[in-house]
Amino acid sequence: MKIVNQHSPIQQLTKLVFAFLFIFSVSVSAQEGDATNGKKIFKANCAACHKLDKKLIGPPLKGISEKRERKWLYAWIKDNNALRKSGDALAKQVFEENNKMPMTPFPQLSNKDMDDILAYTDDKSVKKVTTPKVSTKVDPKVKQGKKLFKANCAACHKLKGKLVGPELGGITDKREKKWLHAWIKDNNALRKSGDALAKQVFEENNKMPMTPFPQLSEEEIDALLAYFKVGDVKKVVAKGGEQETEVKEKNSGAWMNWIVVLLVLGLLVWMFLSKVTFLKIIATIFLLLVGAYFTFDWLMGIGVDQGYQPIQPIMFSHKIHAGDNKIDCQYCHSSAKHSKTSGVPTANVCMNCHKSISEVADDTKVGSVGKEQLDKEIQKIYNAVGWDSENMKYKENYEPIPIKWVRVHNLPDFAYYNHSQHVTVAGLACQKCHGPVEEMDELKQHSPLTMRWCLDCHKTTDINLDNKYYAKIHKEMSEKYGVEKLTVAEMGGKECGKCHY
Amino acid sequence: MASNKKYWTSAAELKNSSIVEKLSKTEFVTEIPTEDFLGDKEALETSSTSRRDFLKYVGFTTAAVSLAACEGPVIKTIPYLNKPNDIIPGVADYYATAIADGFDFANVLVKVREGRPIKINPNKEATSNNGTNARVQASVLSLYDNNRLKGALNNKKAINYTDFDKEVVSVLDQVNTNGKKIVFLTGTMASPSIDKLLVEFKAKYPTTEHVIYDAVSESGAVDAFETVYGTRALPNYDFSKADVIVSVGADFLGDWQGGGYEKGYAANRVPKHGKMSKHIQFETNMSLTGANADKRFALKPSEQKFALLNLYNAITGQGLTSKTTPQDAAIKDAATQLKAANGKAVVVTGIQDKNAQLIAMAINDALQSQAVDLVNTKNIRQGNDAKVAQLITDMNAGTVGAIIINQANPVYTLANSKEFVAGLKKVKLTLAFATTPTETTKEVQLVNATPHYLESWGDVSITKGTYSLMQPTINKLFDTRQFQEALLSWTGNTTSYYNYLKNTWNVEILKGQSWNNALHNGTFNTVSEESTRTPNTVDLTAVASALAKTKNNALELAVYTKVGLGDGQQANNPWLQELPDPITRTSWDNYLLISRADAESWDENLKNWTVDNGALNGDLVDVTVDGITIKNVPVYIQPGQAKGTVALALGYGRTEGVQKEMMTGVNAYPLVNKVGANVTITKVAGEHEFACVQLQHTMMGRDEIVNETSLADFIHKPKQAWNPSPKFSLDHQEVDVAETDLWEKFDDTIGTHFNLSIDLATCTGCAACVIACHTENNVPVVGKKEIRVSRDMHWLRIDRYYTSEMTKERGEEEGIVGSGKYFEAQTHPEDHPEVSFQPVMCQHCSHAPCETVCPVAATSHGRQGQNQMAYNRCVGTRYCANNCPYRVRRFNWFQYAQNSEFNFNMNNDLGRMVLNPDVVVRSRGVMEKCSMCIQMTQATILQAKKEGRPVKTGEFETACTNACSTGAMRFGDVNNHDEKVAKLQEDDRTFKLLEFVGTQPNVLYQLKVRNS
Repeated sequence: MKIVNQHSPIQQLTKLVFAFLFIFSVSVSAQEGDATNGKKIFKANCAACHKLDKKLIGPPLKGISEKRERKWLYAWIKDNNALRKSGDALAKQVFEENNKMPMTPFPQLSNKDMDDILAYTDDKSVKKVTTPKVSTKVDPKVKQGKKLFKANCAACHKLKGKLVGPELGGITDKREKKWLHAWIKDNNALRKSGDALAKQVFEENNKMPMTPFPQLSEEEIDALLAYFKVGDVKKVVAKGGEQETEVKEKNSGAWMNWIVVLLVLGLLVWMFLSKVTFLKIIATIFLLLVGAYFTFDWLMGIGVDQGYQPIQPIMFSHKIHAGDNKIDCQYCHSSAKHSKTSGVPTANVCMNCHKSISEVADDTKVGSVGKEQLDKEIQKIYNAVGWDSENMKYKENYEPIPIKWVRVHNLPDFAYYNHSQHVTVAGLACQKCHGPVEEMDELKQHSPLTMRWCLDCHKTTDINLDNKYYAKIHKEMSEKYGVEKLTVAEMGGKECGKCHY
Repeated sequence: MASNKKYWTSAAELKNSSIVEKLSKTEFVTEIPTEDFLGDKEALETSSTSRRDFLKYVGFTTAAVSLAACEGPVIKTIPYLNKPNDIIPGVADYYATAIADGFDFANVLVKVREGRPIKINPNKEATSNNGTNARVQASVLSLYDNNRLKGALNNKKAINYTDFDKEVVSVLDQVNTNGKKIVFLTGTMASPSIDKLLVEFKAKYPTTEHVIYDAVSESGAVDAFETVYGTRALPNYDFSKADVIVSVGADFLGDWQGGGYEKGYAANRVPKHGKMSKHIQFETNMSLTGANADKRFALKPSEQKFALLNLYNAITGQGLTSKTTPQDAAIKDAATQLKAANGKAVVVTGIQDKNAQLIAMAINDALQSQAVDLVNTKNIRQGNDAKVAQLITDMNAGTVGAIIINQANPVYTLANSKEFVAGLKKVKLTLAFATTPTETTKEVQLVNATPHYLESWGDVSITKGTYSLMQPTINKLFDTRQFQEALLSWTGNTTSYYNYLKNTWNVEILKGQSWNNALHNGTFNTVSEESTRTPNTVDLTAVASALAKTKNNALELAVYTKVGLGDGQQANNPWLQELPDPITRTSWDNYLLISRADAESWDENLKNWTVDNGALNGDLVDVTVDGITIKNVPVYIQPGQAKGTVALALGYGRTEGVQKEMMTGVNAYPLVNKVGANVTITKVAGEHEFACVQLQHTMMGRDEIVNETSLADFIHKPKQAWNPSPKFSLDHQEVDVAETDLWEKFDDTIGTHFNLSIDLATCTGCAACVIACHTENNVPVVGKKEIRVSRDMHWLRIDRYYTSEMTKERGEEEGIVGSGKYFEAQTHPEDHPEVSFQPVMCQHCSHAPCETVCPVAATSHGRQGQNQMAYNRCVGTRYCANNCPYRVRRFNWFQYAQNSEFNFNMNNDLGRMVLNPDVVVRSRGVMEKCSMCIQMTQATILQAKKEGRPVKTGEFETACTNACSTGAMRFGDVNNHDEKVAKLQEDDRTFKLLEFVGTQPNVLYQLKVRNS
């Protein structure tokens, strides 16, 4: 009797454990709902050629399962070529309709996968959101003019405002067309010919002769003048067109998790209410362990600011600079290759470009913020250094105002980190630690910057053997450790004193 | 030989007092006073906090702290608006400049980070290199002195420099018209451009006179040189050319004649081919030089003069008038050796008496000494005591219309300061240039705030033919103006001083050579046209009879300067205040040094005693000399002090421009020219608490710590006799300790492996390395109270050991065993000690005892041989310190930075600017210690990596090896066989500290060889 009594709770416990495991396993599979999984597979396999709502290379796929039979779709997706060759009429028709472009076959997809994809393409939770569509209908001549302007004139002129030369927007209203032609072709000759206006323009612009452009044809100059007259085409909201963006609603599988949590809670309540002391103890221990787990997890997270994305005093977009305009990271962060700090760019570095770029392009956007605000952001640099963008010079006796950026990556004082070691010696790309900065408008901390994160990399990265410093030491140490290539950690990159002093 | 000597650090230890026994057994002398608190029932019962309340508080604070920790602070980063071209944030720039503060002169290389000077290094390429002593090393902190003058003052009210100049020029014009004198009273500046400016000033105001005044005067020597050779200068000495050096009271390894002789001296202190120099010292108090001497004899100040005469007589065979001294036998012996050295001998004296200096010059002349350079003379002491005395008379007589003081603090340093102050009241224009408020700026009408030398342009000629440039290394911190700029303004010259300096140099010094090059190098040398000087004849008989008239007093006074404070200019520098004196091992104080015999013979015994926590206390006395009394001077019983003498250090007792914590000691300047005068001391009530570290960090009573041998043994006996490697019994066989090992051997044969090597033969104990370490590693200052309870934080200490040369063997050799002399030497060995210095820092043991006991693995071993300390991992159990046989670990008992309880440089924004940004400031509760300057070695390696090359020989350095003028400390990679340290590993003199413990240190020592 005693033995049985002693054993019975344990058996119960075993059953309970199995029950737990079962419930968790269910919850794990339930988490990946059909449509969700479908979206994933769609993105990985189909999105290169298909969109839900409009034609890309292939036809739009929204509601496709309503148009075609499911079986046919399975066959088509798995191997559309074979289907076509088998003489299927529908297949041939689809092929013809889509410029005789065969689709990549996907034999690797299971029926379940395809069901998921179709669930996604049918998903009713994909809502339509309308945003105004922009018409960009432009006179081709103006377009050509703009192109020529960028290639030839933009170094010294702007449409609005003075740069090196005078502003060109609306110049056609001020000067005669013929005179402009002559001036553009060879302003020096025009001036020498005794043209009074030419002389006056020369005087007005600090006696700086303009580069002559004899290579431009009459048509090209006409195109330029057309562009000067019309300027950049403003956005016109066309009421008719609507653009659709998808917004995903709640995760459909979430309710399963709640059921599991409720079940566990119920079980715990039952255990507490039961008259068996042992169960109560187990429940208490379980609760304590779970509590300890979460507390520890929370404590370990203190000071780890992964994802920290403070609002900066100037709405500076890395996306525009490093992404769209492909400026090299180290053009601005020039001390990264020499120093322990990468260096927040000094305002004089900003001014290298922003002397001539005082405004953003019309369609530039940072998040929802458009040109109007962004131009003000550029003005903030000018306020800091005292730049007069009207007259293209620094203001005299101006008390400059330093820009107080908010530091995103903060290592504690007791950890020594040197950028040049990683950038110059190891040759790492900045993105390795800082993530896709070129895609970030507002910069955020991509990596956790924890010691484990540092060491994980040190343990797996081989040292750069091209560097002659390592020649002797690597030979000796690789022999000692009996490996071909040493990792950073084996070279000493996991010793406490290398970073903590 | 070495093993028969007994070494001790203090008299208490010599007498086996119980406190020494106690201290040698505990790492931390004071227990945490839990018993005092919990045992006090009454206090506990009256407390209103119940146990439950206490728990509530604990709970609340824990919760509050956790909540507060959730959100990190927002940290701003503010870049330059317009980055200067040569600054890369995070990369140090180095600028060559020079210090010339009137007391210390040196060519230095300043490390600047983001526009802040943070470290002074010696400029090793300069030929007139004076080395950087502790004060020069510490001078960077004086730049960030919170008490500095922040602008010009007129009658203690702020004034701008335009009005200032108007006031000055109008009075100067008036004085000039009245025909009264305009006097510049300055310290030695030795600046060619200032000399030129003063000439121009004199052209405008013909009544101008320039009086040079050195607070610690070498006027006697300068006057003597002037008498013989016609110019006011000092001969230069190259001690490397001397095989026999006899010094009569000259502390030439200290501040004698501006110092800077240690490099030449050390060159000849390591036996080469069985030869090394012999150094005999006759002196009053134990100086740094006496401590390094092969033979040291104690003499009273008056007897030193006779000794010099007797030495002259013995060498030349003449019979100048003299008196006998207790050391006449030794003098005769010295004379024989000097003569035998055949010109490779030199005699120097520190007696401030023109006649004594003349005799010394005559001796060197008679010896035909090759070590004396009479052509390329030293310019760094030019003071003229007679002129200063005349000035004070003139001031009181009312013939001086204006006095302009620069680089001098006469109100503090003059013996007759009161007369000077009285004289000031009769001068129409009194003006002082000063960096910090001083006793003098308090007494004058106008004060011009001058920039620190690290903010200034300037030039200095340390020796004839060598020129150094000063350049600013930081923008001016305050509204200050240089002396030179003021002179330009007053003479109506509108050029900037920079242009003036550049022009002067181009025309007069460089003569076509590149200015930029000179500025980059910091120095420029010209070749002297003269090769010899013809002496004037001096009537030595008259000189001698004047000298021999000196009275021999019962208790004579001596004054001296300490390595830490020097003349007292930098009294507000906490690094220097906390620097333990190399000899007395006492910081934050000056004191009256007295010999044991005199202390005991006093009516009421004057005593030093050790209190229960190991700190030193002493009696207080009033000192009276010729009617001048200095009250409440603590007494320090100094081994080796000449019987019948007392000595007091200058530079202490400052009252102006010095914060309360730094107002230490008594001012000895009123007695500065009473050397040799009779002293009366009266014991007064009370006792003084010293901050003496001599009993701290003793190595658990283990002997065989410091090692030395005699030259004879070194030459004639095998290494095993004088530097035996310790033995260990293995399977009942005696084997070398290196052959037995409990642990797996640490493989130090591959990769970079660091060794620090310290040559005790050339270590003079000057303590420059201590300050260099302090600066480089952000070591906190803890204050006098904490030092007393053994909580000093110096990562590098210089242990000073006394030993007696009298052993039983030696007594038998000399046949004096049983005689009174032998008995006295054995009973009171502290009366005739020999001294050894031993710098001790973390020994970076390959089998480090500290590493095995750390419960959290906060201290661990690096591949390159360092014992590393991860502060952020340390939880403060202090097991490591308890297990360290060398006692080199330091515990942060408190938060020393930004804590008003420790109101030193880390407690104000200005003072914190000196911190090295590459080294973390440790917080409370963590252990710290020497890291072998890992931030420097890592930087060197990184530089090599960036350039894609191996590290060059000699490229590795630590702060201490960089600061060492004599080259006693060497650092490098022993696996690079070209490195000096690699060769030193194999040297016969090499030993390891407590090698028998088996810790296998990576710090090596070379034992001292005494040429006795």
